[in-house]
Amino acid sequence: MVRTGDIDRRQFMRAAGIGFLAALSPERLYALERAEAVFAAGFRSPDGAYGIATTTADGKIIDRIALPARAHGLAYCRVTGRGVAFARRPGTFAMIFDPKGLEQPVLIHAPEGRHYYGHGYFSPDGRLLYASENDFDGNRGMIGLYDATNGFARIGEFEAAGIGTHDMTVSDDGRHLIVANGGIETHPDFGRTKLNLDRMQPSLAILEAATGHVVERHALPPALSQLSTRHLDVDEGGRIWFACQYEGARSDLPPLAGSFALGQDLRFVSLPDETTQRLGNYVGAIAVNRKERLVGLTSPKVGAAVILDARTGKVLAEQAVPDAAGVASAPDGLAVSSYRGTLAGTRSPLAWDQHLVHLA
Amino acid sequence: MSRWLSALALTLISATTALAQEADTAPHKTLSEEATKHVMVKVVDDFIRPGYRDFAGKSAMLTDAMASLCAAPSEKTYATAQSAFADAATRWAQIEIVRVGPVLDAYRFERILFYPDRKGTGLRQVQAVIASADEGATSPAGLAQKSVAVQGLGALEFVLYGTGKDVLLSEKNSFRCRYGLSIAGNVQRIATELTQAWDEPDGIQQDWKNPGKDSAVFRDGHEGVTEALGILVHSAEAARDQRIETFYKGEANNTFPRQALFWRSKLTFPMLAGNLEGIHRLLDASGFRDLLAPDQQPIIGSIDFVLKSLTKVTNDVNPDVEVAVADEKERQKLDFLLMNSRDLILRLNDGLGGGLGLGAGFSFSDGD
Repeated sequence: MVRTGDIDRRQFMRAAGIGFLAALSPERLYALERAEAVFAAGFRSPDGAYGIATTTADGKIIDRIALPARAHGLAYCRVTGRGVAFARRPGTFAMIFDPKGLEQPVLIHAPEGRHYYGHGYFSPDGRLLYASENDFDGNRGMIGLYDATNGFARIGEFEAAGIGTHDMTVSDDGRHLIVANGGIETHPDFGRTKLNLDRMQPSLAILEAATGHVVERHALPPALSQLSTRHLDVDEGGRIWFACQYEGARSDLPPLAGSFALGQDLRFVSLPDETTQRLGNYVGAIAVNRKERLVGLTSPKVGAAVILDARTGKVLAEQAVPDAAGVASAPDGLAVSSYRGTLAGTRSPLAWDQHLVHLA
Repeated sequence: MSRWLSALALTLISATTALAQEADTAPHKTLSEEATKHVMVKVVDDFIRPGYRDFAGKSAMLTDAMASLCAAPSEKTYATAQSAFADAATRWAQIEIVRVGPVLDAYRFERILFYPDRKGTGLRQVQAVIASADEGATSPAGLAQKSVAVQGLGALEFVLYGTGKDVLLSEKNSFRCRYGLSIAGNVQRIATELTQAWDEPDGIQQDWKNPGKDSAVFRDGHEGVTEALGILVHSAEAARDQRIETFYKGEANNTFPRQALFWRSKLTFPMLAGNLEGIHRLLDASGFRDLLAPDQQPIIGSIDFVLKSLTKVTNDVNPDVEVAVADEKERQKLDFLLMNSRDLILRLNDGLGGGLGLGAGFSFSDGD
């Protein structure tokens, strides 16, 4: 049987299911339990295989789970202790995993006519998993609803109030879904080709979690129509931080991050020109450290990590990190991963993928 | 303030230490601006511009051939039109690997070729145009206002090879033929627009050939080379995903020969060969080889070998897709194409990308 880039469910279940717990030796389990904080991220190993790895706070790999294709974003449920990794668009699988290795991974698939956009989030009570999805024939972003208490059965969907939906998160009280609609049209028939760069419609939306009703929607003004609103995190005060990727002229200096709260207008962060240039007009990931009121931005384009003060939006620090990938809140500060395998002080013989999640 | 600074030190600075250590043991090749600029000039002048120019030229010949067929239907003019269609389509296959730049504006990419059409939506629209003899579709200007699916090469293939094609021979200036002529004219116009866009001295070619602060596309040569390499990687992925796996995924009992591109005209495999030839030409023309250290030169040789093998087998598959998926010996060739196209992607992504110091295979595929 020829192995292709597509998902073969039986092969995958073999790869993902066998030995996840068994392979976790007592020493490694001990190390995991003792770890002050644990991260998880997608990776690509030197032989071209894809998977998810969990790590200690200092980036040492604890365990790996095989995946049939490249993963993208991850989320963690504080109630159940489970994590989820979503396929990179236009992938159609997501895998729910137990970082402690006590439960077998659960594989779910997007329904016919949908693919995942690579991100999702658990409801605060742990009962639901939300996933950003593409209704590609209808060219509309969707939020899929999955029942975490019933094998992650898909139980419904909401319109995301935009196209090119990418990241999403949930307010702390669980009442609102916060959605970044990047505004870029794609269709799996055309792979990852961006089909509407000359007529993008980026927006940020807040939906009622119970009904999907659009509470508010912020379309970017025409002057910023090529600023794709992509990634999100929420700070301790419920303020929503967003990060963007600019599809316009490379010589422009667009705003790349901002914040807003329910009922408020978008407020862009005024980054110094040099910082915008170091980010290459592209922020690949964003994370908030609530305790320390930090906002981290990473960009692989030029290779940089930037830390903002969540209270003022001012740049506190920036550093060249070649091939910077994910950023996540850490017990102290923010952790940054890279395609070169670096994470929080450790270099592993693999390439970390675009996002990093703090399993706490 | 000092607390978060120490936290930052723990994470970012230690990460840097790790990078520095890596840099000591496995240095990444640094591409000079001069060398990368040289590559970008070649990519534009020796591949992209000639590619669009050739396609525009073949499209013009297709328009002429369709005009002759409509004015004087005969076996000869019909065969000439079919031949001109094959020439234009396969030239498009070579340059369609460029999925960046002006081709993505104004739906040009989909207007030239709407494919795949998994649900047959485009086909139904084409059939409806023909069935209703919609005169609005018989001028390129009118056609440009209609669904992208009825405007391009996919629609013209149905006109020339699909059910009802006999009218092309039996009736002078038939609606079907005039619709086909309009499609050819529309494709020619888009091809000309693309040629002009890339030939404009102060236009996109200026930005591509001069990465830097004044370029609207690339801030430095590294970004330019990353984009050019991305064309190779993404087109190899598309060749596998959209030109083979749309009808065959390695399962004998799960084939969809009528989902194959241009199965009616038996151009499925010539189109795949065109994609491969485009990749090969870009690889050769770009001078990527010159950016590699002497000990990394074999990377190019290995990619060259895989491309030649793929092309040879592609040209050897039975052109009838129904037969190709049903016959075991033919399926073995398709299996070969699937397996080796995956190998090609890895060699371009990891081998060439790694050799150029462009990260571990992620950084030239957009991070999303």
